[in-house]
Amino acid sequence: MKTETTTGEYMLLFRGPHWDRGLPQQELQAAMDKVMAWFEGLNQRGKTKAAHPLGAQGRIISGTNGQLVVDGPFAESKEAVGGYLMLQADNLNEAVEIARSMPTLKYGISVEVRPILAECPIFQRHPDLVQRARERAVQADQIWIAAAA
Amino acid sequence: MSTTSIAKSDYLLLFRGNVWDKGLSPAQLQKVVSDWMAWFERLKAEGKCVGGHPLEDEGKVISGKQRAVADGPFAESKEAIGGYFYLTVADEKEAIEIAKQCPGLEYGSVVEVRPVADECSIKQRAQEYSTHELAGATA
Repeated sequence: MKTETTTGEYMLLFRGPHWDRGLPQQELQAAMDKVMAWFEGLNQRGKTKAAHPLGAQGRIISGTNGQLVVDGPFAESKEAVGGYLMLQADNLNEAVEIARSMPTLKYGISVEVRPILAECPIFQRHPDLVQRARERAVQADQIWIAAAA
Repeated sequence: MSTTSIAKSDYLLLFRGNVWDKGLSPAQLQKVVSDWMAWFERLKAEGKCVGGHPLEDEGKVISGKQRAVADGPFAESKEAIGGYFYLTVADEKEAIEIAKQCPGLEYGSVVEVRPVADECSIKQRAQEYSTHELAGATA
């Protein structure tokens, strides 16, 4: 199983953005404090490269020409991604251990840990096509540069 | 919980479905690979895409009070996230227009467009809750 990243970067996707529902205020405050401390701790150890919550509202685009645009994701879903954290870790084990230390797991969220790649797995399956595409892109670039000059 | 201050015009494109190459002819594959690379390069050159990466098909999912670790065979799912672009654009309309240009759409890929938030909505709810409680207590 190929689980090592080529860059030492791992994406943590936090799923289930409504773990706060039904929590008493004090417990919620304590959980928030723990999350902030967890994140600051990672920051200080130089483990975080980027992190953001995502707005609950968004759009899902599908269809052969992208003609289907619907509201989404479904905020009620436990699968919905509520935010992400890009980690710099030594290996997958370290990334998993960091994910396991996320304080809100006890409230029902899940954390997906994914190695970040330099190149798309689909592209990796077709190296010859990628090579040809690169050559074409270079040619196209030259045309573009020539046109701009 | 953000590491940087961000403008309201940042969006994340999440590409869902990462086995859309199966069953394509070599010519179709060549076109989609070329189109995808050109699309990414153009968005970067225009300053509209500030980052993007594919994600490995394999990975782990951690869940539950016991913090159980399970293998994530993400490759077979149409819902699986295969990669992302980080966009800095004028507004949501532009982010959607860019999402519609995704070369994988033709082969069943789905693009999720999400605004990048400055602050976690749960933190906001906690603060509102706190303000509400305070108002109730002093009433």
